[in-house]
Parts: sequence; C-alpha cells; structure tokens
Amino acid sequence: MSYLSISHVTKQFGETVVVDNFNLDIEKGEFVSFLGPSGCGKTTTLRMVAGFEIPTSGTIMLDGKDITDKAPNQRNVGMIFQAYALFPNMTVAENIGFGLRVRKESESAVKERVQEMVNLIGLEKHANKYPYQLSGGQQQRVSLARALAIRPEVLLLDEPLSALDAKIRVSLRAEIRAIQKRLGITAIFVTHDQEEALSISDRIVVMNVGEMEQVGTPFEIYNFPKTQFVANFVGSLNNADAEVVDPANGILAMDGVHFKTAEKDFSNRRKGDKVKISIRPERFSFAAEPMKDNVVDCTIENITFLGSVVRIQILIGKTKFNMDTFNNPFLDLPAIGAHEKVMCSKEAVLVLGSA
Amino acid sequence: MTLYFLIPLGATFYWSLRGKKDVLGFEAYRKLFADTNFLPSFSQSMVNAVATIFLSLLIVVPTAYWVTLRLPKLRPVIEFITLLPFVIPAVVLVFAIILLYSRPPLLLTATYDSSRVVLICMYVALSFPYMFRSVDNGLRAIDVRTLTEAAQSLGANWVTILFRVIFPNLRVALLSGALLTFAIVIGELTIALYMAQHTLGPYMADLTRSKVYEPSAMAIVAFAITWAAMGIIDFVGRGASRHAQMTDSD
Repeated sequence: MSYLSISHVTKQFGETVVVDNFNLDIEKGEFVSFLGPSGCGKTTTLRMVAGFEIPTSGTIMLDGKDITDKAPNQRNVGMIFQAYALFPNMTVAENIGFGLRVRKESESAVKERVQEMVNLIGLEKHANKYPYQLSGGQQQRVSLARALAIRPEVLLLDEPLSALDAKIRVSLRAEIRAIQKRLGITAIFVTHDQEEALSISDRIVVMNVGEMEQVGTPFEIYNFPKTQFVANFVGSLNNADAEVVDPANGILAMDGVHFKTAEKDFSNRRKGDKVKISIRPERFSFAAEPMKDNVVDCTIENITFLGSVVRIQILIGKTKFNMDTFNNPFLDLPAIGAHEKVMCSKEAVLVLGSA
Repeated sequence: MTLYFLIPLGATFYWSLRGKKDVLGFEAYRKLFADTNFLPSFSQSMVNAVATIFLSLLIVVPTAYWVTLRLPKLRPVIEFITLLPFVIPAVVLVFAIILLYSRPPLLLTATYDSSRVVLICMYVALSFPYMFRSVDNGLRAIDVRTLTEAAQSLGANWVTILFRVIFPNLRVALLSGALLTFAIVIGELTIALYMAQHTLGPYMADLTRSKVYEPSAMAIVAFAITWAAMGIIDFVGRGASRHAQMTDSD
C-alpha cells in the first residue's frame, strides 16, 4: 500500500466542480509536483491533503490512516506557502520552534531542534532576526525549516518560489530538493511553472480544469505527452493539421509534405483521416543526413536570439514552425528567406488528436 | 490651519492660567483637582472607558477575525452595522434606549448602577465604527488567513492562534481602537447627561456654567489626555511599522 493515497477525491464549491475524481498514490520519500494553469485544481487538492478543505467525496489515507476529515492541526503535515507566512512578531528561532512548543516539547529539545534546522538552512547568523529583516529567499528558507522542524509525515509546498526573483528561485529549488532527498521526506509541490516541475520532481501530475491529464516522470511528461493539453502546457510546441496517407507505415501529409510518425496507435487510423500533429521546436535540425526520415524543404522566415537558444521560424509547405537550436557564436545562421532542408525523427512527430 | 487650531488652544491655556488676579499660574488647575466632584467623575469615566474597551474588543475582534477568515461576503453588512452610530444621533439613541429599558420586562434604568451598565453598553455601540475599522485594517495588513493556516499546519488550536499569532500582530490596531474609544468615552456628554450619570462629560458642562477659569483648565487637561493617547499610538505604531518593512536584499 502506498504511503499517501488520494482516492476518488472530488471537491465542489456550490455547483462548481473544482477537483474531479482525483486518484493518486505517492510512495514514501517521493517528490511529486502538481502542475497546471490557474484554476486547474492543483492548490485545492493540496489544501485537501493539508486539511484546509474537506473533500466533497473520496478519501485521503496517510500511512494507513484515514485523514480525510481530520482538522489541519491534527495531521502531521508541514506546509510552505507562497507568501512565506512567517509570524511577524517572532524571530527566526521562535518561528522555527513554534510547532514544537505547540506540541509541548521540552525547551531543551526545542532549542536543539531549532539549532539543527537553522544549520540545515544555513541561517545560523540570522536566528535572532525578525522576518522583516530577511530577504524573500531567506524568509522562504525559514518557512521550510519551520515546516520541517515538526518532523512532518508529508511536506506540502504551495508555489513556494513564485514570489522570488529568477536566480533565487533556481538556487532555492535545488536547495529544497537536496534537503528533501537528504531527509527522505515525502513532498507535494504545487506549481504552474513547468521548468520548476521538470527540474525538481520524481513524478509530475499535470492537471487541467479539475482533472488529471497525465501522471509520469518529467522525462515521460515532456517527451511522451498523452494529450494535446500536456504537450502544449509543458514546453513549446508546433501544432499543424495533417492527413493520414499510409496508416500501416505511419505516413501523413501536411500541405503536401510527407512526414513519418512512430505513434503506436497510428495503424488503427484510416487513410484520409484528419489529424493534429505536434513537433517540439528543438526536435528539428538542419538536415545533415539526407537519407533519414522527415527531411523536408523549408524557407527561413525569421530568426530570434533568445540567449542560450536561437529560435528560427521556418515555413514548411504553408505552415509556420519554430525550430530551436543552441546558440553558437562561431556557426553561421542561415539568411532570412534562404531555402534549407530540415529534419526531425519519426518519434518527434506526435499525433495527439483528430483535427 | 495650524493657527486655526493653535490660537484658540493658546487662548484657552492662557485663560486657564489666570485663576489668580494679576498673576499667571496654575491656580485654576489646583482648584480643579481639589474639587471633590472632579476625581469621582474622572475615575467613573475611566472605569466606564476601560469596561467599554474590554467589551468592545471582546465583540469586535472575534467578529472581524471570523469575517476576514471565513465570511468575507458578510463584510459590507458588518461595516454597515458598525456605521450605524454615525447615522443615528446620540440624543435619538439615548431616548430610544430609555424608552426600551425603563419599563418591565426590560427595566434596566431603575438604579444608578444598572443605568451605568446600560450606558457602558451604549458606549460599546458608539465605539464600533472606530474599533471595527482599526481591527479590520490590522487584520488586512497581516494576511490573517495565511498566518492562521500556517499556525494550524504546525499543530496550533484556535486559542493558540488567537493569543500567540493574531493578537500580537494586531497590537497597534487594538491599541488604536482602544484609545479612540477611550477618547470618546472620556468626553461623552449627551448620553451620560440623559442617563443621569456623574461622569466627566456632565461634570465639564456643569463646570462651564458655574466657574470662570476651571473649565479652561479642564479643557487643557482633556487635551493632554487625548494627546497622550495619540502619542502612545504613534510610539507603538512606529515600532510596528519597522516590523512591517520588508527588505529585499537578496
């Protein structure tokens, strides 16, 4: 049996279904991210695990115990909020020790644990400071230490990095992941930032309008999206309409240009079916191997420099595609208007729905 | 604007110093504090003010906290109710109360002490606009919902949350509401007069009719008390605003 089990959980606010039949099993020590746009139900699901919302139906089991209707203060769950939620009237040490004092642990045990936590987050010199004397990143580290101090069974993180600037976000997410691995704590991380979810998680749950679209490892989610929504939400994507030409051999045509796909179920389609195809920009490359699959002619429409990546807009048939290539200052980029050959593997051509 | 305020105040102070003929001094103040009616009126008003503040806090803080946390849609209704003392003149309020509570089964104005209880309850109602706004502003400034949830997730119950998280962070708001209430109760005349209460308001009115220099001394004393109250709010507020500052040095 899994450590945390969310079974058939539905949450309604009035007539609105915010989370619909959510099912997920999380193993001990696993780091799972809920990823989706605003209003997809990810935070509501997290709040149901925390006890701030009670499911309309379904059950939540933690370590074999049913916690569905338990009050938040009766679940041993640590929570980190986007807005830090440090108590302004308490110092860093008092904030970290709050949960332990509530549990009536001895003062010596509290002091020892607080010191341990302060060392863990590297804020030894700031233990006697108030939250207003700390930067955003430092405050969120204190929030992490406060949540971990009570030795929670699950750590819940509700968009904890959203209020921080880009550099701090990247370093803090690595720090959170390192601490989570070191302590072996089970964690659920809510975010709308796909890069954050991909970089930090063991598994990702992609959610849309209250439903789970796909659950998988970051590698699976990015490379093998099961729905158009997941493909579009995670990473950049080129979408185009195409027509099935040869189902048995995975051939389809877009504006008269033939592509080959490696989709498993493609042979079930019939010749002439209209489908939507998706290709990630980085799966295109300039054709150095003309004998490979999917080598097609294109016209360079535009080139945009994005730092580490150069985005080249190409025209294949009558459809515009984006093609991403790593920036290399010593390689000449093609001129705008030039005719080139580009290629992509048959595995890169995703068929995610009917047109 | 400053002169508009300072000239009458200066004139009142100057007048209060002329208690002895041809000599400027504090004779009027000495006589005021020596008056056997002054201290009883003053102490009665002080007790009324403290009782009013206590009851008002007891009603307003949990109400405002719960409205902020769980019933935000009720806020306009609560705001309207708390504004009623501004809309209903004190004289109308006092007559309505006297009419309601001066006959059985709600005979509460039969004795001086029972009337005093009614008076304090009316002061509580009068304090609502100031107290609710102060507390509500304080609650809005501290993101009460997130702090409550953070404390809950750490295992705290409602009593711990209120006394260790919410109240300490509402210190300035509570003090501000309490001192405004204090200022209202100390100087209130209309209701106390019609309820036949021997508080500072009726005492000052009586003093104005019977003495020359003491009313000015009394006015200055009342100003001093109010300024002291404002000074305390300002002093405590400065400390709290330092807490509220967020640095962004990362």
